[in-house]
This record gives sequence, C-alpha cells and structure tokens, in this order.
Amino acid sequence: MNAERRIWGQLRDDPAGLAGLVVVGLFLLVAMAVWLGLIGQDWSAADGARWETPGPDHWFGTNILGQDIFERAIYSVRTAFEIGLVVAVSSTLLGALLGALAGWYSHSWVDGAILWLKGVLDSIPFYLFVAAVAFALQGKGWAMHVAMIATFWTTTGRLVRAEVMKLKTREFVLAARTIGLPDALILGRHVLPNTIHILLVQASIAFVAAIKTEVILSFLGLGVQDGVSWGLMLAESTQEVLAGHFSNFLAASLMLFALLMGFNLLADALQDAFDPKQASQ
Amino acid sequence: MSRLWTHTRIAWPPVALLALVMAVAGCKPERSSEGPEPAYRVYRHAMDGAPSSLDPTHASNLYANFLAVNLFDTLYRYKYLARPYRLEANLADGLPQVSADGLIYTIRTKPGVHFIDDPAFPEGKGRAVRAEDFVFSIKRHFDPATRAQGAWLWQGRIVGLDEWKENGADYDEEVPGLRAVDDRTIQIQLISPFPQLTHTLAQGFAAVVPREAVQSYGQEFAVHPVGSGPYRLLSFNSAGAVLERNPRFRQEPFSLEAEGFDPDSQGGLGLEELADRVPPFADRIEVEFIAEDAARWNAFIAGEVDFIKVPVSQFDRVLASRDPPTLSPDLAERFRLNANLESGFVHTDFNMDDRQIGYHPDPDQQIRNRALRCAIIKAFDWPRRNEVFYYGIGEVFPGIIPPMTLEFDADQDRAPVLRDLEGARDLMSSHGWHAGNLPVLEYGFPSSVTERQMFEQFRSFMADIGYPQEKIRPLTYATYGDYARAYLNREVMLTTTGWTMDYPDAENTMQLFFGPNAAPGTNTANYNNEEFNRLYRASATMQASPMRTAMYRNMNRMVVDDCVTISGISRTLILLWRRELAMLPDRSFVGGFFLRFADPESAGGEAE
Repeated sequence: MNAERRIWGQLRDDPAGLAGLVVVGLFLLVAMAVWLGLIGQDWSAADGARWETPGPDHWFGTNILGQDIFERAIYSVRTAFEIGLVVAVSSTLLGALLGALAGWYSHSWVDGAILWLKGVLDSIPFYLFVAAVAFALQGKGWAMHVAMIATFWTTTGRLVRAEVMKLKTREFVLAARTIGLPDALILGRHVLPNTIHILLVQASIAFVAAIKTEVILSFLGLGVQDGVSWGLMLAESTQEVLAGHFSNFLAASLMLFALLMGFNLLADALQDAFDPKQASQ
Repeated sequence: MSRLWTHTRIAWPPVALLALVMAVAGCKPERSSEGPEPAYRVYRHAMDGAPSSLDPTHASNLYANFLAVNLFDTLYRYKYLARPYRLEANLADGLPQVSADGLIYTIRTKPGVHFIDDPAFPEGKGRAVRAEDFVFSIKRHFDPATRAQGAWLWQGRIVGLDEWKENGADYDEEVPGLRAVDDRTIQIQLISPFPQLTHTLAQGFAAVVPREAVQSYGQEFAVHPVGSGPYRLLSFNSAGAVLERNPRFRQEPFSLEAEGFDPDSQGGLGLEELADRVPPFADRIEVEFIAEDAARWNAFIAGEVDFIKVPVSQFDRVLASRDPPTLSPDLAERFRLNANLESGFVHTDFNMDDRQIGYHPDPDQQIRNRALRCAIIKAFDWPRRNEVFYYGIGEVFPGIIPPMTLEFDADQDRAPVLRDLEGARDLMSSHGWHAGNLPVLEYGFPSSVTERQMFEQFRSFMADIGYPQEKIRPLTYATYGDYARAYLNREVMLTTTGWTMDYPDAENTMQLFFGPNAAPGTNTANYNNEEFNRLYRASATMQASPMRTAMYRNMNRMVVDDCVTISGISRTLILLWRRELAMLPDRSFVGGFFLRFADPESAGGEAE
C-alpha cells in the first residue's frame, strides 16, 4: 500500500477527522464564493436600522450601524482564510527553509545563527511580540501578517531541523552525496520532500493559530485595518452585549468556533495519519 | 452595604485612642465635642478617566481639572446653578476692576484664606494665601522646567511674561504685567484687550499653589498637592483619589440666589435644603477612575458609586423618553437625572493644506475641490449619525458656534446640516467629478471600536453619492497621541475631533479656524481666510456685545460657505446620581466646582 492510500485510508476511518474536513471544506467554499464576489459583498452597507433582530431581511440581524451581521460574518470567512493561508504557507515555507539549513549544517555557524534567532524570538512572550510588531507597523495592511510569520516559523523550523538531522544520515542521502550532487539539490529534491508530513501538520496548526491571532489582534485594534473580521465583530460586540444585543457576538464567535474546531479535528487526523507509529499498528 | 456611616458612642478611652490614631493617620473627621455627632458624609464619584498629575500646571484634561479645582483655589469659578454659565468670585473678593482701555485688571483676594497644614510650611501650619502665590502659580506655566500645559492661555497676552520665560524663568525676577501689589491685590497688565481673561482664571490651570510646597516636593508635587481648596488629598493612585474636607476652608454660606438657582428647572433636587449651610457639604469624597463603560455602569448599579456619566450603550435602558430625556420608572425610584449638553462639539475637518481636497494653486481646481467638499458635507447624514452614536439626543447645528454659547443663533439656516443627496451629486457632476477621478480620501482615527464605526458610517454615507468604497480609506493610529501627532503634522486628510470649550464664549471656537493658529496649532483644518482672520482679530479684543455676536456669526457663515468642516454636533451627556444626594452635577464649565456643593444625604430621596 503506498503512502497516499494509507493516509487517505486512515483519514477515512477517522470520523472526527472527516467531520473536520467537511467543516473546513464548507468554509473554504464560502471563502471562495466571497472571493469570486458571489456572496458577502454588502458587508459595509449600512442600510438597515440599528440593532435589528434576526429576520428574513437580515438573517443574523444588524449591528449598531445597521450593517447586516450575516454579510459581515460571511465576509470574515474570506478574511480568516486570507490571513490563515498567507501566514500558514509563508511561515511553513520559512520554517522549512531555515529548519532544513540548520539541520543540514548542524553544529556549524549557520545552525548556530538560526538557533540563536529562534531562541531570541521564542524568548519573547508570543502575544506581546506579535502585538509589538503589529503596533510598530500599524497602518500597513500587512503588519499583522509579518508579525505572525516572524514568530510562527520557529516551531516548524525546530521540527524540520531535527528531521533533517535524522534524514541526512540515511543511505539515500549518503548515496546522493557520494555521486556528488550539490547540497541544495539533495536538500530540495531528496530531504525536504521527506518532511512533508511535518509541514502539512504544521501548516494546519499555523492556519488555526493565525486565525486566532488575527481575531485577538483585531479585537485589540491592531489587526485588520480596512475590512471586517470576526475579531472586529467581537470588538464591536463588547459594547452591544452591554446593551443587550448579542447577534454580533454570537455570529462571530460561533463561526470562529466552528472553523477552529473543524481545523483542529482535521489537524489531529492528519497528525495521526502521518504518524509512522500509527502506520505500523 | 450602606454608603453612609455614623460614629456610635462608646467608652471614652477607646474613643481617645481612636482619635489619636486617626489624627496621626491624618484622616480624622472634624467633630464637635458637644451634642449629637453629625453624620460623616461620604460622596463617591465615578470618573471615566484618570488624571496623571494633580499639579495644576498639568490640569489639561477634564479629570485633572476636576480634582485641581477641589484641591486648590482659583480666583474665579462658575456659579453652581446659573444657566447660561456665569462667573462668580471664588478666592477673589469680587469681579476684577478693569481699566477703561481694558488692559489693566486689578483683583483683590479674600482675607483670611489659608493653605492646608502641611510639613512644607514652618511648623506644619498652612500660612495665609497671598497675592504673590497667584503670581508664582501663573509664572510656573512659563517655566520650562515645569513642563506646564496651560501657558497657551496667557501666551502673548500679559506684559513681560513671555520675556520672563526667555530670560531664564527666574522667579525672583518681576514680571511688569503680573504683580502682587500687596498681600491681597493682584494686578495684571495685558498687551492688548483680552476679554476672556477672567474666564481663564476660573480654570484649574490658574489654581493657586504655595511656592514652599512646590520647592519642597519638587516632582512629587504632582501627587502631593498643597492648596487652599475645599478638599485636601488623602490618597491618590491609578484607581482613584480620596479627598477629605479641608477644615480651614473659608466659611461662606451657600446662597441659592447667588448661585443662580431656578426653582422651575432645579426645584425638587433637594438644593433648597442647603441654603445658608456652609460648604463643602461632604466630609469625604471618593473618586473612582473606571475607564471601562461596563465596569463603571455595574459599579453604579451595584451602589458602589453615587454618580455616573451614563455610557451611551445604556441610554436605551436608562431613558424613558428622549425629548426631553427622562428617566425610566424603575431607575427613577433610585436615581435622579440631568441631561447635560456638552460645552463643545464634534466635527470632521478637511485638511485645507492637502491639494487633493483643500487649497490648490490652480484657481479652477480650487473651485472643484470646494465643490467636492461641499458635496461630501451634503451627503453626510447628521440625523443618522446622531441616532446611532448619540442616541438621537445630541444637538446638530451648522457651523462652529455650539448651542451652549450665548452667541449661538437658533434661527440660522439649517440647510448645511440637512442631507441633500441630489444636490451633492449635481455639485459633483457639474464640477467634473466622477467615480474615476475622485481622490482617495484618507480618514484618520485612533484605533477604537467607535471611531472605526464612525469611519464605516461615513464611508456608507459617501457610497450614496457614488464615492467608491475603495477610495475612502481608514488611516488608523494606535493611540490618540499618535493620531494627534499626525494631524498636527498635517498628514491626515479628514480629521475628526471633539473640542471642549475652555470658557463659554464663542471666541474659543472661532480660534479653531483662525489662519495663524494652523497646525501644529489648534486650527487643524488649516483654514486660512483673510476676511475671517481680520474679523477674528477685530472681535478678539471686544467685550461681549451684539456687534461682536454679529461678527462671530458672520465668521461662522464663512466657515460654512467654504465647506471647511463637517460640523457639528454637541453631545448630550446623561448624568445619574442617587436620589439621596442633594446636588446638580455638571460636566462642562462648572465641572469639579460642583463637588463642594454635593450633599450626600439632604435630598431626602427614598432609600434603596
């Protein structure tokens, strides 16, 4: 049985993982529909009355400005996926690159420099660091992305480094070296592809973390600057809940909960599926 | 838990011991040794912000000013109950004598006023307040070492004061225009008439401090105030301040008539019971700084504080009607309400220094820019702004003379604050504006939920005249300080600010659009109209008169016609307090001065 079949088989036998996949798939469809301009385009129109209750015109009601909360919650799926994808892909690639270099050149100055950088970044409390970077770059649309990528790569880097250190002693790597292939080629063609299980799992974890962090930063006013996100909706709801209006809070928090739960289930399933120990059982 | 407590009679030795302990701790309430012991009256006040310093030279915000005028004395204050607001002598022994040319003010202070006892004085006994203390206090604003924030009030106004600063701020050097003629006589000589001078002497900035205490405590004076106000400080930190009645405060019986009492609008608040009694009426004031709306409201409802400025989010629950604002029946059993129109207004200025929207060297483009600004103003929906953010009880008015001032014209044309989408679209198309060539508008605001919502609402208003959403961009700043720095550097295209007037005279808002005050001055619109400037210069030295009012109104029309600002709205603040309290709180010009008249138990409201 080849690896892909084994992994898919394992996923298929994991109902929780499948449920997660379905949930994430649904959210992905929504995000794509928003991207394509099919839904959620009226998120900023303020044509309703203030704090309308849910009804046929406004499924989730309206906020203080009369904006449709459903439209805003739907558009926020796009925001979440945009940030999640950019951060997950970038931080995973960066972690893979730096981790691979550190592992390949372990115990050299390259390894030392990368480990030092990682140590420095890890020594700063995560949210403090992310908030500081986002604060320093505030006003720039990509400030939050930079802040997250700068911190999220370290875990991936550490895992990839260990994996590469293990792989570089394997026969196929030694064989490649023996026939004189350059280091970059060995790393890119033979070593890194063997860390894909780590990268996939780490990417899914980074995706979830990015969405959560965005919500927190937006809630604090350091996240999304022009647009809408669940974090901004939750920030709005702090005033509305006090006045007895819960639609914004419920819409944002339930959708956030559903997506994060779906991703967590999927990430767990992926981790189990890629785990060689599971495969041997 | 009851908010009031009284001493019970117990055996003498423990009483003596307790009195000794309390005296050592500096928190002994004054008691008569004869007759029944009076109630120890505690008033607990919630504030939505905290001062960082209690030094009057740093009393630049509402919160610092609120405490400063209670810990220190000012020469003047505003009458507690008179509306419109009127000045009243405080430490001064009457209104100033002003020379015929309006340049020399002579002010006598009351006799027998003493600073509180403090180790800064010989033998710890507070000495008499002297005219030279006032001179010293004003000089401090011009001493760079103080880093004072109130110098602008008197800058370029008093003969020799600016030069005194330039010459090194030597306190022993006399300022020709600011002199203590004798222990009780102050003489101020102005460079040119400044009719608002007396108003400036009613502000916390002008509070009188003793030189020996400032020198003794240095930087610590900011948290160790020594004054002659109705209260003295017991404790102060980021969570709150505790004040105790100053036992040596001058004995001046409360007069309803002198304070401008109006039985029709102010009857039934228990104020009549206060007549002829001597303020301050509360023995102890506990001020809690609670910035978070929900926490402040919960503290009030739980009975932990006696007064609150109601968060707008609670208006739905608090108000039974809007016009006039009345309290809902369930709350009316426990609380009283005062709808307090703010002494200021909120407005959104165009940066006239920005060629895309403001002045332009090409006269044709300048005309087009004006048309665009006017179209934006026409598209702005004031009723909706008022409804959403101010519960519909703010007062919308055209221009820059707020309703609180005597110069406000209630009969002026309201067209500039009426939404006219068709007119806006016509104006744009007739001047060649269309979605493709409209400039990108950068709307600045400090990062907060409400400010963001205001931006989004503005963008939705503009969408109604075809202004593309992507051409109206938020320019966010982490703090208000960053935002202020940006608009003072003329970097923000659209700036929304609130202005709280320093005194009830429209001159205070006219100066916001006076050309020479352009950013980094107070004229954040960077408006520069020669005729406006000429009228401002001419009116600034005039006493209040119909002619001056006409000039102000003329200037107001210029600002409206030039479409310089989207203005404006004065917010109505809803103030609530326990029924048992006999008082009429105020958040504008009376401000902290009302505290001395707050009586925690005279109103006779039903107990909770």
